[in-house]
Amino acid sequence: MPCFTRSDLTTLFHAFAARMADERTFLGELDGEIGDADHGVAMANGFDAAAQALLRAEGSGQGLAGGFNLAAQELLNAVGATTGPLYASALTRAGEVFGEVASVPLARLPELVIAICEGVERRGQGKPGDKTMLDAWGPAAHVAARGLNASVGPVVLLREAAQAAAKGAEDTRAMMAARGRAARLGPRSIGHLDPGAVSAAALMDVLAEWARHHEEIA
Amino acid sequence: MATRGASQKSPASPERTPPTRFGEDNLLWAAWLYYEEGLTQAEIAERMGVSRPSINAYLADARTRGIVSIEIEPDRFRALTLTQAMQDHFGLSDCFVIPSDGHDRPLIDRLGAAAAQVLARMTKSGDTIAVTWGRTMLAMANSVEAGALTDVRVIQATGGTTAKIPWTPEACTSRLAENLGARCIPLSAPAIVSAPEMRDLLLREPVLAEQMEALSEADRIVLGISSLRPESTIHTSGFFDGISIRDHYHSAVGSIAGRMIAANGARVDGPLERRTIGMDLDMIRNVPERMAVAGGMDKVQAILAALRGGYVTALVTDADTARAVLTSEGYEDRPRRRSDATPATLPERTRVKKFLNRPRDAVDEAIAGALLAHENLLAPIEGAPRAIRALHGPRKGKVGVVIGGGSGHEPGFLGYVGRGLADAVAVGNIFASPPPDPILAATLAADGGAGVLHIFGNFSGDLMNFEMAAEMAKDRGVAVRTVVTTDDIASAPVDTRSARRGVAGNVFVFKVAGAASDRMLPLDQCAELTLRAAERCFTMGVALEPGVSVDTGVPSFRMGPDEMEIGVGVHGEPGIMRSSVKSADETADLIVDRILNEMNPSDGAEVALLVNSLGSTPQLELYILNRRLRQRLRARGVTVHMTLLGHCYTSLDMAGVSITLMQLDAELKSLLGHPCESPAWTVANV
Repeated sequence: MPCFTRSDLTTLFHAFAARMADERTFLGELDGEIGDADHGVAMANGFDAAAQALLRAEGSGQGLAGGFNLAAQELLNAVGATTGPLYASALTRAGEVFGEVASVPLARLPELVIAICEGVERRGQGKPGDKTMLDAWGPAAHVAARGLNASVGPVVLLREAAQAAAKGAEDTRAMMAARGRAARLGPRSIGHLDPGAVSAAALMDVLAEWARHHEEIA
Repeated sequence: MATRGASQKSPASPERTPPTRFGEDNLLWAAWLYYEEGLTQAEIAERMGVSRPSINAYLADARTRGIVSIEIEPDRFRALTLTQAMQDHFGLSDCFVIPSDGHDRPLIDRLGAAAAQVLARMTKSGDTIAVTWGRTMLAMANSVEAGALTDVRVIQATGGTTAKIPWTPEACTSRLAENLGARCIPLSAPAIVSAPEMRDLLLREPVLAEQMEALSEADRIVLGISSLRPESTIHTSGFFDGISIRDHYHSAVGSIAGRMIAANGARVDGPLERRTIGMDLDMIRNVPERMAVAGGMDKVQAILAALRGGYVTALVTDADTARAVLTSEGYEDRPRRRSDATPATLPERTRVKKFLNRPRDAVDEAIAGALLAHENLLAPIEGAPRAIRALHGPRKGKVGVVIGGGSGHEPGFLGYVGRGLADAVAVGNIFASPPPDPILAATLAADGGAGVLHIFGNFSGDLMNFEMAAEMAKDRGVAVRTVVTTDDIASAPVDTRSARRGVAGNVFVFKVAGAASDRMLPLDQCAELTLRAAERCFTMGVALEPGVSVDTGVPSFRMGPDEMEIGVGVHGEPGIMRSSVKSADETADLIVDRILNEMNPSDGAEVALLVNSLGSTPQLELYILNRRLRQRLRARGVTVHMTLLGHCYTSLDMAGVSITLMQLDAELKSLLGHPCESPAWTVANV
C-alpha cells in the first residue's frame, strides 16, 4: 500500500515551490490589478523557504506533524503579510490531523486539502464568496470530504479536488471582494481573478499531480 | 455587432445615417463610435460612409478640439452600449439598464419602478403572469399601473413563506394582480414542507393541482434573483431553517424562486428540492418570456449564474451591475484605446532602472545600510534581523512604542524610531507585514515593564501578524495595547472608518505616541492619546505614475499616459477613480475639498499638515501644492500649526502625493512639539 512519508512531504513542498516560482510573475500581475502586486513573490519565497527547511530537517527523526509545523513556521517568517499567517495556520492544522507519525497511507492525503481549508478558515474568518483563497480551497475540500466518505482513490479524488479548486478560482471573477486588501475596491474588484484563489488552485494542481506521479512509481 | 434589432426602430438605414442625437456632428459621432463602441477606424468609415483617412482626421480633430475630453459618457449613452452588449453576450431579447446613481432613492425601488413600466407595456389581455417574491418583486408590484386589460391572470410561482417578511409570495402576487386589474391565483401551500411525502400528498390535492396547472400555462414570469451572500434577505425568509447551506448548497451562488443555482447556472440539488412546492427550474425555462429584475453589486455573481443558466430572456438592472456582469465575462467597457491613442503624450512607464544587487536581498541590505547611517540612533536587536530598536528609547518604567509594517515606505517605518518617537520597529518584506517573530522581538526590546503599545496601519496582514505577536507577548507577561490607524479617507466610506487603510497619517500618530510615552504616561493614557491622534488624521493620495516592483523592475500597476489615480493607496491600490491629469492647484483642491468635507473644522481650527511625496515626486512640486493648500485652508479659517513636507511615507518610487491633515487640540499640539530625535524627524529641545 503506497504511503505518504515525511520525506514525501519534502518532495511535495519542492513541487509546490517550483510551481510558485513558475507562477510568480503571473500572480504578481493579477495582484497588481486589485492589490499590491506582491502575491507572486510571497508565495514563491514562502514555499521555497519551507521546502528548504524541510530538506535540512530530513533524517532528524522528525514525523509528519513536526514537518508540517516546521513548514508553517518557515513560511510565516519568510512571508509575513496575509499569506503567511493563513498558510501557517493551514499547515499547522495539517500537522494536527496527521499527527507526529512517520507516515500515513496515501489514501489519507486528501485529508490535507480539508485541513488546509479548515486552517485558512480558522485564521482568516472568511466566508465562501468573499473572493479569497477560500473560494478555491472550499470547493476542493468539499470534493475531498465527499470522496473520502465514498472511498474514492486518492489520485482520482485529488484530481477532482484540483478541478473544483480551478473552477472556484475562475468563479472569483464575478465576486466582489469582501476581505483582504481588495475589499476596499468594492465593485472595482469585480472582473478580476483573486490571486490568492489562483495560487491555491495551482497548489491543488501540484498536489494532484504529485500524488499521481507518486502512485505511479510506487 | 447585432444592430439589426435596433434598426427596426429607426426609419432610415442605420448604417448610413448618424443617430439623431448627434445631429450633423460627424466628429462627435466618429468619436463616440471609436471611444465608446470600440469600433476600428475602418469599421467606422464603413458605418458612416466616408473614407478611412477622413475618420482619422475626424478623430484627430475631435481630440484637438477637446470633444473627446468633454467625456462622451452621460449615463444614457453608456446604458445604450451596455444594453446592446448584454443582449449580444447573453442572447437576451431585451435588456433595460437604468442609471445606477439614483440620488436618494433606493436601487430596489427604482428597479421595481422600471420593471413595472416594462411589464405594463408587455402585458396583453388574456396573459397569465407568474411572479416570484422578494423586495424587488414587491417594489415592482407596488408601482405597476393598470392599463385597459382584460382576462389577465397573475399567479404565485412558489408556495408561501414565513409571514415575518413583508415581501412574501402572497403579498407580491396579490399586489401585482390588484394593480394590474388582474385575477389573482395563489398557490395554496407552503413553499417548503417538512417531508417529500407531504409534498407529493399536497400536489395531489385538486385545488393545488389546478393551481399548478395554471402555472404551467404561464406566458410570462417575472422573477427576482437572490444572492446567497450573508446579507441576502433569503436568509430571513425561513427557506433554510434547519438546513446547513455549507453541507448541502456549498456550490450554490444564487436562487431563483427558491431554487438554488451554481455559478455556471446549473441546478444545485439538496434536501430542499423534493420538499419545495412551486415552479422548478425546468418549468421556469419553459415559460416563453422570463423577465428578471435584479441589481446591486452583491448580486453580480447570482445574476451572472441566472444568465448563464438561460433562465432569463429579459433583464431589468442598473448600469453598474450590468457593467460588472459584463466585466466578469471579460467585456471591456472602456476600451484602453481611450488613453493609449491620445497623440503626443509621454510613453507609459514600462521598466525602470534600479540600484540593486539581488532583489531578494534588498530589504536586508537596506536595513544593514540604515543601521550604519543612523548608528547614533538605531541598534539591531539580537537574534532578530528584521527588528530594530532605538539606542536611547526604551527605559525602565516607560511604555514601549512598537511600530511596523512592510518595507518600501522609507523613511517609514524605521525612520521614526528614536527617543521621543517609537522605541522599536519590525520590518516586513516589501509591502508585506512582518511576521510575528520580529514583532515579538521588537516588543520585548521596547518593554520597560510598563507595557507596550503596538501601532500599525489597517491592513489584513498587519492585523493578523501583530495580533499573533501580541498574544505571544502576553504569554510572556508583557501587556500590549494596540492602535490601528485608519486615516485614508479614499479607501472606504465615512460610516465604515474601521475599514479604511492606515497611511501617511501614521507619522503624526507615531509622534503623539512617542511623546506621550516619553513623558512617562501610563499605558492606558498613551493608548488613549494615540487613538485620539489616529482618529483626527485624514489623508488622501493621488498617483501620477505607478511605483516599480523591486522584484521585477516593472510597474506594479498600469496607468495611461494622461491618467492619474485619485485616492491611491500607499501600496498602489486603486483609489476612487481614474481621471485625466490635473494641474497642481486642481489636485490640491480636489484633495482638500474631500478632507475638509469629512473633517468639518470649525472656524479657527488648528491642524498639522503633512505634504508627502509618494516616492519620485520632487520637493519642488510639493511646495507648489502646499502653496495652494494653505490658500484654501486660510480661506476656510483653518490655521496650520505645523507642516511636514517631503518624503515622509513613500510607496517605493511612485510619482504622486498624499496630503494629511490632523485636527489639533492643546494636548496634541503639545505632544507634537515634544522633543524627539530619529532618522526622519527631529524636534529640538528648546
